[in-house]
Amino acid sequence: MRIRTPLILGAATAVAVSALSAGTVQAQTELLIWHMEQPPHRVDRIQELLDEFNAANPGIVVRQEPQNWGEIYAKAPAAVAAGNAPDLLFAIPDFAPLLQGIGALQPVDEIVAGLDNAHGFYDAAVEPYAYDGGIWAVPLYNMAISLWYHRPMLEAAGVTPPETWDDWVAAVETLSTDGVHGIGLPANRHLYTDQTTYALMVNAGASELYNDDGTVRFDNPETAAALDFYGRLFAFSPPDAANWTWGEAEACFASQTCAMILQFTVITTYDTQTDGDPADLGVVAIPHAASADGGTISYSNGVMLLTDDPEKRAATEAFLTFLMEPETYGRFLNMEPGLFLPVTETGAEADSFWSDPMAERYRPQIETMLENSQAGRLFGFTSGNIFPSIAAISAQNLIAQATQAVVLDDMAAVEAASEIQERMEDAIR
Amino acid sequence: MATPTDRQPPRLDRRQREALLGFLFITPLLLWLVATIVWPLIASIHLSLQDVRIIGTTSEFIGLDNYGRVLGDDRFWGAVGRSGIWIVGNAILQTLLAFSAALALKRRFPGVRVARTWIILSWIVPTVVAVVIWRFLLNASGGGLINPLLITLGLTESGVGFFGSGETAFATLVVINSWRWFPFITVILLAALLRVPSDLYEAASIDGASAAAQFRYITLPLLQPTLFVVGLIGTLLSFNVFDVIWLLTAGGPSSDTTTVPVMIYETAFKQFRLSQAAAMSVITAGLLVAFAAFFVKVAKPKEAF
Amino acid sequence: MTRWRGSAAQVIVLGLLAIFVLLPFYWVVAGSFRTPEEVIARAAPWFPRSLTLEHYGNLLRQSPFPTYLLNSLIVAFGTMAFTVVVSTLAAYGFYRLRFPGREWLLNATLLAYAFPGVLLIVPMYGMMSTLGLIDSLMSLIVINVTFAAPFAVWMMKAFFQTIPLELEEAAILDGASRFQVLTRIMLPLTAPGVASIAIFAFVMSWTEYMFASILILSDDQRTLPVGLAGIIGQYQIDWGLLLAGATLITLPVVILFAMIGRYFVEGMTAGAVK
Repeated sequence: MRIRTPLILGAATAVAVSALSAGTVQAQTELLIWHMEQPPHRVDRIQELLDEFNAANPGIVVRQEPQNWGEIYAKAPAAVAAGNAPDLLFAIPDFAPLLQGIGALQPVDEIVAGLDNAHGFYDAAVEPYAYDGGIWAVPLYNMAISLWYHRPMLEAAGVTPPETWDDWVAAVETLSTDGVHGIGLPANRHLYTDQTTYALMVNAGASELYNDDGTVRFDNPETAAALDFYGRLFAFSPPDAANWTWGEAEACFASQTCAMILQFTVITTYDTQTDGDPADLGVVAIPHAASADGGTISYSNGVMLLTDDPEKRAATEAFLTFLMEPETYGRFLNMEPGLFLPVTETGAEADSFWSDPMAERYRPQIETMLENSQAGRLFGFTSGNIFPSIAAISAQNLIAQATQAVVLDDMAAVEAASEIQERMEDAIR
Repeated sequence: MATPTDRQPPRLDRRQREALLGFLFITPLLLWLVATIVWPLIASIHLSLQDVRIIGTTSEFIGLDNYGRVLGDDRFWGAVGRSGIWIVGNAILQTLLAFSAALALKRRFPGVRVARTWIILSWIVPTVVAVVIWRFLLNASGGGLINPLLITLGLTESGVGFFGSGETAFATLVVINSWRWFPFITVILLAALLRVPSDLYEAASIDGASAAAQFRYITLPLLQPTLFVVGLIGTLLSFNVFDVIWLLTAGGPSSDTTTVPVMIYETAFKQFRLSQAAAMSVITAGLLVAFAAFFVKVAKPKEAF
Repeated sequence: MTRWRGSAAQVIVLGLLAIFVLLPFYWVVAGSFRTPEEVIARAAPWFPRSLTLEHYGNLLRQSPFPTYLLNSLIVAFGTMAFTVVVSTLAAYGFYRLRFPGREWLLNATLLAYAFPGVLLIVPMYGMMSTLGLIDSLMSLIVINVTFAAPFAVWMMKAFFQTIPLELEEAAILDGASRFQVLTRIMLPLTAPGVASIAIFAFVMSWTEYMFASILILSDDQRTLPVGLAGIIGQYQIDWGLLLAGATLITLPVVILFAMIGRYFVEGMTAGAVK
């Protein structure tokens, strides 16, 4: 074996080096969007809309670069600091304060006002982005958690969809038989557990995370009651639920191992990965404690403006105007059919939204989701009091950690609430 | 082109020339490491003396406050303790697996070549793939393998929650990490084992030495240089394992799988206390260097390798 | 110990290890060919009931898999080339040439493994950004070499030690320079060693996730592991798609190993062949 090594190395280096120099051609006004809707079919749908917009607006080129939620909290500030941030960046309410806090965001009040005139934003969608004297993102779509169930399983067990916690726990108990779990709830240190826990907190009357003066009020009897009830339900969940994210919950539901789960949607999974009849897929609002009104957790997703270039601002306005038009908006939402809900009145009636084959098949379910989302709250963004310090609380999944303490470490709910209260105070210091 | 007689450089003696050449040969590596390790280390020390919360923001110099805070934080020392257990757990399991594999693969048998090549399989898959594989495998509620298997065997009624308690989650992570890394150690050990001249064993056999005695008095001493390097670098590498833990448990339940790297990441990018995380890293690097120095002093054979 | 008992123990050990290493792969590969219903079935049968290529179709149709693959290959070969050059030179310098601080510097290279990689993220992002290397594959090559080279130096050094000193001295007496000795005599003799560190560097680069996820911004520069993480997505997981992705990412290294894998093991054991 005579040495071919240097040759191979040389070739490899040449390949490596030649691949490193790729330039971009500058168009008139270029807009770069970062979003976190990374699954390929969502990227495709967005590209479709971008292509249409770019073709219709010769002066503007909008490009997308999908990113991952996992890294964006580290990546976005780094990119801002290094000067290679995008012009537009998608957001959920608790991500926005992070960038707003370092002065990376431009207020978008006028754009929101303009779109509001034309399409009528739901107040609940705009509210989480309005603080510190500005609106920091244009709402794009909403998501809310509901209780999903297998209708035939409930019928076979003689159970009706629960409305209160007492009904709920009784139903779960009845449904839990050999190999079937009445409910699947997560207990991972993960956003999903934050969400399901907060969904129960809302239904226990503990939707406020802050007092009016910005101090944390996690340590209260209602939160403790929610954590305690979570523990009672979790006892019926599959053994691996301690490591669940959304996908495992859906798999559990789709394989009929779980009779009920709390999820934003299961429609796509149910439709593509099971042979179930659309009519057999049940969805209701999350049951509530006897002492509290019902509600759920909802996320208004939006897009933030990072550039102060007036031309790019104008281009952004043009693009968002295009996107929110009823003819296009529904197609945008249906990049994930049955998950993303409209944030505008015109959007909720748009043909483009309801004419999607999946939306047609599951129309009753989607209508219920929409209705549930009206009662949606988000931790840290309730009743007009917004304290940007929520970013640190949610990034650490402290609510999920309270749940873990109760359901995995057998800590008393009251104790867990007080311990996590301390952690939260420490986090926002 | 200049001919040698054009200008005579000051003549160096052979030793000086060799030293110069030596430096020249290692210069690329040194420059590389200075740029990618030493410089960031200095940047981190600089950062650790300020109060920066989020990347890109500025802050004033606050001296050693962050160090005081980290050193006085029970949760940091808890993480150091867990990292200690992590290293020991991984070392034991991987040594066990790698030694049995290497010893089994040392002898010739039909297909030994194939086996020697493919033992490496789990090392060459990306961490993300390993995480997908194990998340899927341990799933109890649709698609998993291990739980249905345990149920069929009658070992459990409704399945095991591998991440359901601190202890099992930690143990599961150790197994998954070992699954990924033991093949690499196997190959290194195997290489060292095959380097032991076989006549040594033959002679020992004739003298009536048992297999255990052969292992103790022939194999181990000859393996010592290899074990030294694997022990040192392996420990440092396994200390710094981050993505498997982060992607599977994110350090939970509670903080039961929060090792030092996980805590540093969390402090920097979830609590947004970059300077404090930098102080943690500097302290950690100090601890590791101290460990390495101690290890070198105690375990270094006369001629490494 | 009799011959028979030895081989029985050997068979059992190898059998158990084979199950431990291979079974997870079997389950994932099998899963990638199952129908969507069967992928998440509560107790799926050992062999898929009906084979489908649906998930692979979706994956290739929906994601720029070939782009990711090409990027991963470029980074891996780049890492390999630089690692081999840099560590071979350094290993020879450390092993054959006496210079002051030699021992100390050799130990200091291990500092690369002592500093928590997670905190390199911040200074590294700043540095790459200054150099204009953000979102370029070169940034990944640079960082991967950092983590591959020190160990490669230690490995390579061991190979050089197997070469008798006299060989080199003879060449030098014949008027060869040190560099010529390295390239004409040492490298051919330690070719298996070079193969080993090349493969080591390749694998280190192939599996790297953290830096690739932070330093790369655009989809057309993304490497395979980060691309795969992308299809996991928020709020939903399509297990079939994910398993197909996991299988396809594993495939190129498996092919590579089928071709040159034995050099890795043989390379490592080269010292044994006298």
